Parts: sequence; structure tokens; C-alpha cells
Amino acid sequence: MTTALVEALSLSVMFGLRPVLTEVNLKLERGRAAVITGANGAGKSTLVHALCGLIGLSAGQARMFGQDIRRLRADDRRRVGVTLHRSMLYLNLTARENLEFYAKLNACQKPSEQAARWLERLGLGAVAEQRARDLSRGMEQRLALARAMIGEPELVLFDEPFASLDRQGAAVVGELIQELLARGGAALLTSHEPLTVKGAEPENYQLVSGRLLPAAAQPSRRTAWRWMLT
Amino acid sequence: MRPSLGAAFAAAGCVLVPAALFMVFVYVPTEASQGIVQRIFYFHVPCAWVAFLGFGLSAVAGAFYLFFAQQVWDDIGYAAAEVGMLFCTLVLITGSLWAKPIWGTWWTWDSRLTTTFILWLLYAGYLLLRAMGEENEQVARLAAVVAIVAVLDIPLIVISVRLWRTIHPAVLVTRSGEHGLEDPRMLQTLAVSMLAISALSAWLFWLRLKTLRAKSRLFELRRMLATAQAIGDGAP
Amino acid sequence: MLTGFCALLHKDLTLERRGGRVVIELCVLSLLVLVVLVVAYGPETGGRPESAAGALWVALILSGLPGASLAVAAEHENDCLTGLRLSPLEPATIYAAKVAAVALSMAVSQAATLLLLVLFFNLQFDLNLLRLIPILLLGTLGLCALSTLLGTITSRLRAGEMLLALLTAPLYVPELIAGVKASAAVLSGASLAAVVLPLKILAACDLLFVVCGYLLFEYLAG
Repeated sequence: MTTALVEALSLSVMFGLRPVLTEVNLKLERGRAAVITGANGAGKSTLVHALCGLIGLSAGQARMFGQDIRRLRADDRRRVGVTLHRSMLYLNLTARENLEFYAKLNACQKPSEQAARWLERLGLGAVAEQRARDLSRGMEQRLALARAMIGEPELVLFDEPFASLDRQGAAVVGELIQELLARGGAALLTSHEPLTVKGAEPENYQLVSGRLLPAAAQPSRRTAWRWMLT
Repeated sequence: MRPSLGAAFAAAGCVLVPAALFMVFVYVPTEASQGIVQRIFYFHVPCAWVAFLGFGLSAVAGAFYLFFAQQVWDDIGYAAAEVGMLFCTLVLITGSLWAKPIWGTWWTWDSRLTTTFILWLLYAGYLLLRAMGEENEQVARLAAVVAIVAVLDIPLIVISVRLWRTIHPAVLVTRSGEHGLEDPRMLQTLAVSMLAISALSAWLFWLRLKTLRAKSRLFELRRMLATAQAIGDGAP
Repeated sequence: MLTGFCALLHKDLTLERRGGRVVIELCVLSLLVLVVLVVAYGPETGGRPESAAGALWVALILSGLPGASLAVAAEHENDCLTGLRLSPLEPATIYAAKVAAVALSMAVSQAATLLLLVLFFNLQFDLNLLRLIPILLLGTLGLCALSTLLGTITSRLRAGEMLLALLTAPLYVPELIAGVKASAAVLSGASLAAVVLPLKILAACDLLFVVCGYLLFEYLAG
């Protein structure tokens, strides 16, 4: 029996009285990728937060590796890599120090070697000794991706990974995801425009005002209008 | 939530409070050394009891809230703190009224007065946090943590305040309310006013809790409505 | 767990060495409090050991509260706390490391405060002062444990600094009383054996705050 790496069961999130996600069902198995598209404010970031257990759910459940996210064991949290809208980097540490720090938190065997490897991999070698504060937006995004990958995760959740990346950076991320899928991992990506993942047939979804729909099913014109007005 | 329990508290209060008033002002004999003013003792002590009880309940509810994450425990903790604050304020006021004629001052840094005042400050911080923090789970959880730490801290506050008194020798006599209780009628009166104030505070707590529960329920219903609308909007 | 703790502590100390503001803020506030109190006391009362002990603890609490909330707020910058929550660390480890980092910063500033205190209050510069160290360390640990726990939430609120002070100060009263009493006794030449009871109160409070923080932090970090 295959357990889903990440799973949402009728997951709903409300901010105050505003429903942000409504009854989202999602299942991602080994070797699969999912791409979730949606307009700004459709709830993509909130979905990633909810799946990681960073915000409370108003209903439903989020599961990782078959366990409720709130009771995820420390060992299993090591198997997940996440990037969010903000990079979670310490702005006064250098790129290398940031990676070494997160490598130690993930109990990597050789933190400095791992850090050097990922700096090289994402083309950050030239700026390794610069503080995160001084990095350009694109470089910061690359460093955030390296931060997420440093624990060699099986499951990655990337919120808008291609935002502010140049073509070469996007290609590197594409390769990373391809490798991950090849070794039996899973990836969930969000994006505001449709995207393709090289060498994989991702499951395409779209989020429309908090509802997760298969990408094919376009919302009716009437609903789209209501969504724009509210 | 059964309304009968609230009604029982209300009925007990309606009977006991007039009874206590009668006993305090008519039945009980005037204490010899302090005179008429000592009668405030029969309100002062029960208020102090309720004030301490309120914090205890708030802390227990806080612990349950953290553990079970059910809104009802949060509401209980909040209601208990509000009632506790009310009676803690009454303790300070009645204490001051009593102290002026007996000790010749409204306030002195006696160890019990200091402890009560710190308790009042703790309540003030707790309620201000509730009032100023946005109504979200994090603030509710912080309030629960504060209540728990505060209750565990109270014994240490009592010990340290006693220590404090020893370096600043007492200027005024310590409280001597208890020695006048030789007359059995005094003890009876104290018992009845204890019950009366307890019933009154339980009733107030119950009313407050019902309001908070209704508020939580209303919020829950509005959330369900908003969810239902969202589902309806999304349907093809 | 120990690896994570050390990594966090190392990170905080690196950040502090590299233009962190916590130690500087602590030192400046302590200096201000001491100067204000010396002037306010006037030359006559200023020389008494009780006044010096009081000033020392006022400086400790008035600089410690903003210092601790600054240290906690630094973790909210760029959502770094979220990064820590996503890591395999236990919340209790994050708490322990943060308390250790804040306490170290405060210890540095207290060394400076103590020197200024000797100058301002015309105290004897002798080995007696060493006896203040355990007292101050106990007081610092308690304040850090408490303000780090409560500051995690208040630093995200409007008027958070005021709320933190209002919530922390009454809870800290036992340590304040015991600490001032012990410091005053030691400054008047008493030995540590003479202040065992205040030391016990300080230790009991520290234990309470640290254990509560260790157990309850996970409910607040979420």
C-alpha cells in the first residue's frame, strides 16, 4: 500500500470570518508532482502554510507521510523542504552561514560540505560570503531554495519557486525537481501562471477563491465574475 | 449548558445576600476594640476568597484550553478572570476603607496588602492582554500561559513579600480581625456572607460565561455561513 | 537536540557580534537608569548600599525587558521563526537556546553595569562584588526565561512592549524582592550564607519560569 506523502482531507482555513480555503482535497504520491495555479489572493500560499501545519485549520486535516501534521515526528520533518513567500534567511548571516546553520538544524553529517555543495549547485558560489541582506531578489530566492533542499528532503513544497528567477535559475530548479521525482520524491509547486515541469507530467490544479479544482475545469463566467467582485 | 444551574445560583444569591446583610448589620454584635467599622470584615474576607478562587479557576481552565484546544475552556478562563478582577478590586477598596480608621492610613505596604495588590496587577495585565490583543488563538493561548504561570508564582510572591517586610520593619500593627471572632455569632455571620458572596460571584460568572459562550457560538455560526456561501459560489 | 541548541546559540552570538543591537541597547538603558537614579537620589542617599542594590535591579529589569523583546523580535524578521518551526527542532530546544542567548547578552551588559555602579555609588571595589555575581545571574536567568516566553506572542501585537512589561513585572516581583534584599546585604559586607533564603527564592522562581517556558513554549510558537 502506498501512503501519500502529503494529503489534504476536506481542509478548510478561515481568517476571521473570511473563508480562505474551502474543503480542499489533495493527494500527492511518490514520484508525482502537482502544480497549483491561481490568481493573487486565491489561497496558494495559505494552502502551503496549512499543509505544513503553520496555521490552524478550521476544518479537515492535513497529513504528511500518513501522520497528522500537528503530530509529525521530528525525524519526519527532516524529510520535508519548504520555501515560502519570505525567504526565512537571517539577513545578517552570509549565504554560506545560513546554509550551514540550516544544515546543522537538519542534523546533516558534514554541514560545511553540504552547504558548499548546494551553493555551487544553485550558482551562488560567487556570493557565498555576502550577507543575505545584500543579495538581489533572485539570488535570495536561489538561496531560499538551497535552504529547503539542504536536508535532502523527499517531499518539497515550493511556494512560487520561479518568481524572480532568471532562465538559468529556473532551469536548475527544474533539474532539482526532476531528480527528486526520479528518486521517488514528490513536489508541490504553486505558481500564478501555468507551468510545465520537464520530464514529468504534473497534476495540474487551480485554486479559485479558495476552492481547489482540476485545471481543466474552468470556472463558469458567472462565478468568475462573482469572485472578482468579492 | 443548563440554565437551571444559573437560576440556582441566582436564587441562592437572592436569599443569601439579604440574609448576610441582615446578619452583618443587625444580628452580629459589634466588635469591642475596633467598633462598628469591623463589620466590613464580613464582606472583605469573602471577596478575597473569591478573588483567589477566580485566578485558580482561570489557570485550570487555561491548562485545559492548551491541552484540549476547546473554546469553552477559554471562555471559562476569561469569565473567571473578569469576576476575579471585580472581587479583587473590592478587596482593595474594602481593605482601604477598613484601614483608614483602624491604622490611620488608606494604604500601607503590609505583606497581605502587597500580595493582593500584585494579584490585582496580574489580573489587570491578563485582562488588558485580552482587551488589547486581537481576538485570536495566539492571544488566548498566551492568556492561558499567563494564568498558569501566575497561579504557580503566587506562593513565591507570598513568601517573598513576607521577606520584604522583615527588612522594612512594620510601622503599623498587623491585621487583627480574627481575634474578635470569639462570639459564635461572628463565625455564623462570616459563614453566611461567605456563602452569599460565593453564590453572587458564581451567578455573575455564570452570566458572563453564558454571554461569552453565545458570542463564540455566534462566531461559529457566522463562520459556517461564510463557508456555506463559499461552497455555493464555487459550485458549477 | 544538543546539536540544534548549539547551532542556534552559535547563530545568535554570531548575529550579535555582527552589529546586533541587543547588548548595546541593554548597556545604554542600564547606564541611563543608573545616571537617572543617582541624580534623583541626590548625594546623601546615593551612597547607601540599599540604594545601590535597588538601582542595580531597576537597571536589570528596565533594560532586560526591552532587550529581551528586541531579541525575540529579531526572530520574526524575514519569518525566521517559521524556518525554525519547519525544522526538526523541538520547540523547547528553540526556547532554551533563545533564553541562553538573551541571558548571555544580559550578562555582558551586567558586567558593565556593575562597574558603573561601583563608580557612581562610591562602592568598595573588592572581592565582595564577586558575591553579587551568583545573585545577578539567577535574576537574569529568571527575567530572560519569563520575557522570552511571553515575548514570543507580545512582540507580534500592537502595544506589545507595554503588555510584556505589564505581564512580566508582577510575575517577577518575588525575584525582584529577593534579589534586592540579597544584593543589599552582600554590598553591606554580608556573606552569601547570610542570604540563603533570598537565593532560594531566586532559584525557585528560575526553576518555575524555566520549566513553565520549556513546557508551554510549544503552545505559543504555533
